[in-house]
Amino acid sequence: MFLALKEIKHEKLRYSLIIAMIVLISYLIFVLTSLALGLARQNTAAIDSWQIDRIVLNQDANVNLSQSLLTKQQLAGIKLGAKEAYLGQVAVVAKASGHAKDSAQFIGLAADQFVAKNLELTSGHKPTNKQEIVVDTAFKDDGYQLGDRMQLNSASKSYQIVGFTKNAKLSVAPVIYGTLTAWRQLKNMGPTFMASAIVSQDRTFTATSSQLKHYSTQQFIDKLPGYSAQNSTFTFMIAFLMIISLIVIAVFLYILTVQKLQNYAVLRAQGIPAKTLVGATISQAVVLVISGLLIGTLLTAVTAAVIPASVPMTFDIPILAAVALGLILTGIIGALFPVRLILRVDPVSVIGG
Amino acid sequence: MSAIQLTNINKFFGEKSSRVHVLHDINFAAEAGQLSLVIGPSGSGKSTFLTIAGGLQTPNSGSVQLDQQPLYDLNTKQRDSLRLNKIGFILQAYNLVPYLTVREQFGLADRVKKHGNLTPAELENLLKQLDITELQHKYPAELSGGQKQRVAIARALYTDPAIILADEPTAALDSARVKEVGRLLADLAQSQNKAIVVVTHDLRLRDYADQIYEILDGQISKTV
Ligand SMILES: Nc1ncnc2c1ncn2[C@@H]1O[C@H](COP(=O)(O)OP(=O)(O)OP(=O)(O)O)[C@@H](O)[C@H]1O
Ligand SMILES: [Mg+2]
Repeated sequence: MFLALKEIKHEKLRYSLIIAMIVLISYLIFVLTSLALGLARQNTAAIDSWQIDRIVLNQDANVNLSQSLLTKQQLAGIKLGAKEAYLGQVAVVAKASGHAKDSAQFIGLAADQFVAKNLELTSGHKPTNKQEIVVDTAFKDDGYQLGDRMQLNSASKSYQIVGFTKNAKLSVAPVIYGTLTAWRQLKNMGPTFMASAIVSQDRTFTATSSQLKHYSTQQFIDKLPGYSAQNSTFTFMIAFLMIISLIVIAVFLYILTVQKLQNYAVLRAQGIPAKTLVGATISQAVVLVISGLLIGTLLTAVTAAVIPASVPMTFDIPILAAVALGLILTGIIGALFPVRLILRVDPVSVIGG
Repeated sequence: MSAIQLTNINKFFGEKSSRVHVLHDINFAAEAGQLSLVIGPSGSGKSTFLTIAGGLQTPNSGSVQLDQQPLYDLNTKQRDSLRLNKIGFILQAYNLVPYLTVREQFGLADRVKKHGNLTPAELENLLKQLDITELQHKYPAELSGGQKQRVAIARALYTDPAIILADEPTAALDSARVKEVGRLLADLAQSQNKAIVVVTHDLRLRDYADQIYEILDGQISKTV
């Protein structure tokens, strides 16, 4: 530690540059991680808010809510308890004069079932008839107010906003909650179609019909259109950044060590154990990475404070802490490459003259 | 019983046709309380001789005894610790850590060798003798060649080693300084019973030596 700190202090410019690199890398990783989390959250926030363990879909729907339809006939033998609810989903375009068009997810609910009952509003009340809707607060940010009317798809009658709810996002679109009747209207379907899905808070709930199939919430989420692809894209980006930071740290420390080999040879000739010199290099890597991380964290915090709400970023402290830990480990691994050089340094090389 | 004893040392460099015989059957002993001088021209094998005596490189044949211990029977770690505790090297070039001040060079020694180093008063005295008291807060890059050399001498003496091996310790010094360093080394040998070996081509050091050897083309002989 003594040698590590003394050297950093003496070579301020050189080490500031390395720290600056680490700041940029860690900032980029933090922001990307937050974006990845934010986008993932926007895919699933509504599902998360329902707190469901199971979902039952038509078995031909390829685990896709918008491809699934459940008929009266299919549901004939199935009894719903207090922990089950029907869900009718349809993608809609919301428009109203004075507002830009918005793509949204319409979710039709039965007022007496748990999803509708547990729906938490930030203002207003729940729908009492088929022309009333509760919408995500994203609409509020767009200037909609309680009592405003909007047109959904090409339905002839308009819908009135009677309530707002937070974190209602599905497949990165804001959710509009309404009634199952409204859902049928928007889908242009008759009363033989009951819903798109049954959701349940009971992890043992099974559908008895041979044409239906149940899935765990995780299976369902993994099959949300684009969700897994998006997540693996981010995971790869973050992994590559980690590898890049490993290379940057390893290369810098390697070059610095090469420049110091003559000194190390002298110190080895004086009988200073290789352990001390290896310790200096590794603790130097740790000091550099931690300083870089601290500044990177500061930048991330500033970003979190000023970023507009419309950018989907979620700053999850435990996950970011895990990422930071990963970077510290990366730094230590990077420092292990030059260690080989130190162990092989030949004290004789400096005595000659 | 000698502090350092080299017996029938041979050292070759290179392979096959380019093989050079650098040290021929060297027999050498340095006694505690004496300053032994090994004088020879450039390329005669002085540095090779000194590094073998100090346990830094292995001879092809022969043995080195340090305080009765066969040096090359020890493992690397044991040799490190022997160097740290018993040997002070004074090297001609690059012997100071560039990012430590003069003062901190001694601090580093304190960290790796916790006991038996010079007391602050003794260090003060040594620095005064070498006329480098004023330089304590400077970095090596801020020192002249001669100042660096004197700091390196102080650094080697700081751990109070029983054996001091010096390679051209006076190369960068003017005559007045050579006298001082010669006197200091001779005095250390005598008053503290150290075994001091100096290899050099600097004939000015002859006056301070107890034993003088000559090395020529890898052959060593005692002069009288
Ligand atoms: N690692 C090596 N590989 C090959 N040859 C070497 C090596 N080290 C030294 N030699 C050769 O061994 C001979 C003695 O070298 P050494 O460094 O011991 O000389 P020296 O007496 O210290 O010379 P100088 O006064 O110039 O420092 C030289 O001819 C040198 O070329
Ligand atoms: Mg030499």
